[in-house]
Amino acid sequence: MSAVSQTPLKKIIISLVFVVLGCLLILQFINRPVIENPPVTGDLQAPQEVKAILKRACYDCHSNESNIRWYDKIAPAYWKVAEDVKKGREGLNFSVWSAMAKPEQAAKLWEAVNQIQAGAMPIKSYQIVHPGTKVSATDLLILRNYLSGTVTSKLADTSKTNALDIQYDKWAKGAEAPKTNLPVALNGIEFIPDYKNWQVVTTSDRFDNNSLRVVFGNDIAIKAIKKNHINPWPNGAIFAKVAWDRLKDANGNVKTGAFKQVEYMIKNDKKYASTAGWGFARFKTPKMLPYGKTRLFATECVNCHRPMKNNDFVFTMPVKH
Amino acid sequence: MKAIYILFPVLVLLAAACREQPDEKQLINKEASLPEDFNFSKLGLKVLSSSVNEKQNTMSTIYGNDLALNTAKAGTPVQAGEVLAMITWKQKKDEHWFGAKIPGNLQTVEMIRTSPDAQKSAKVDYQRYEGKKLTLKQDTTGNDKNIRYIFEQHPSVMP
Ligand code: HEC
Ligand code: HEC
Repeated sequence: MSAVSQTPLKKIIISLVFVVLGCLLILQFINRPVIENPPVTGDLQAPQEVKAILKRACYDCHSNESNIRWYDKIAPAYWKVAEDVKKGREGLNFSVWSAMAKPEQAAKLWEAVNQIQAGAMPIKSYQIVHPGTKVSATDLLILRNYLSGTVTSKLADTSKTNALDIQYDKWAKGAEAPKTNLPVALNGIEFIPDYKNWQVVTTSDRFDNNSLRVVFGNDIAIKAIKKNHINPWPNGAIFAKVAWDRLKDANGNVKTGAFKQVEYMIKNDKKYASTAGWGFARFKTPKMLPYGKTRLFATECVNCHRPMKNNDFVFTMPVKH
Repeated sequence: MKAIYILFPVLVLLAAACREQPDEKQLINKEASLPEDFNFSKLGLKVLSSSVNEKQNTMSTIYGNDLALNTAKAGTPVQAGEVLAMITWKQKKDEHWFGAKIPGNLQTVEMIRTSPDAQKSAKVDYQRYEGKKLTLKQDTTGNDKNIRYIFEQHPSVMP
């Protein structure tokens, strides 16, 4: 290349670099979010080797001990870091662990390990910039073994069998869920009494939280399964998942105990665009009490279902009947 | 500045673009599915109950028509016109959720149909289909025990 053509090009490149650097510099001062580390009020209690993995891989976004490196503080990357820390703490914060009830703690830990196993956490872009935070296969095994050790497959105790007897008696005598004046979740979704007349999509035996489950599908869902049109699921498809206590006798026979809840996912990619295209709702006990403290309760559902985003946020692998 | 900051947005975009969409057929639980020509779903049965046998490592679901559900719920003797089915699978790990077991290989489908009988409240007809292809079992030993088991199960509470 001749010297004549190189000079203007060089000039252009140099001035461009300066413009970019100048912009970057200005970016550092506008809209700068603050990441604070509030006090740790009740840190996660777990064996040392378990905690070490979580501290290394997760605490930057899921605790009040975020270690923001100097290179994380450069905007625009810093904006994403701040957003991740804010959202990360909202969904899971190991520094306020003791504020949760024991079953909630257990559920969160199973969720955490499942997010790692599915490759959803730690967030990919963060892992690339912070290679030391990768959770290795050995780490994952340590976490899984720890969780497996926390579940004991206990025999049904009298409190659980009594709970079933009381419910069963009422139900067998004709007590039903409300059919008019349907309970409504805070996001506007109504209880659907017809779930029990739908076809089965799958069953599931949850040893993490001692429950048995049946997933039902409405006609649109069942037709979609028949035709293998399940990714994405068609609008109008509805799942209903019922959970019962898991009652085990001395011979290892497990039956369903008291009815705990029914949960719905209603597909409508426009109406429910803000919650991954699905309307989520959960109704608890035979009274079908709507679950959730605020209208945004479904964020919790979406976040746990997110590792399934390539499967339209659905865990279930349908069994054709 | 580290080159990573220029690379970073590019990598994020790439990672987003590379999400692979699994084939829909792979999302079906094939080993647990019933052969299409068995036409089970055409019977239109409802779920009565679900159970697990930890020793056998199996899980079962019992289905029935409205009459079967009503007599089971009321605890009244068997009537003519009931249809019940029990499907049993080997359990397998749920690859999507560490903490769950789901149906694996299909093992048996047991069918019960009742009809009017001059002596008893109803005549009970029982068939047992075995294996992935659901071949009808000819040997009838153990049938009485199996029939009793299915009739004895309480339905799961579904208000
Ligand atoms: C770079 C920040 C970051 C790191 C590191 C990180 N996460 Fe997250 N995590 C998030 C954000 C942000 C969300 C909210 C959902 C989303 O936007 O993806 C989240 C959501 C979650 C959720 C769902 C919480 C809920 O709302 O129920 C779990 C569980 C989780 N992360 C576990 C982990 C685990 C376990 C690790 C460590 C192996 C980890 N995360 C590391 C940022 C992070
Ligand atoms: C801690 C993780 C977690 C949270 C939180 C969660 N789910 Fe799920 N959900 C699962 C898993 C795992 C399955 C797969 C079935 C099973 O084994 O229970 C599932 C399955 C379902 C299904 C059946 C369709 C499918 O995806 O397989 C429905 C419906 C459902 N969930 C509704 C909800 C609703 C409504 C909420 C919020 C109120 C919610 N879920 C919150 C983990 C979660």
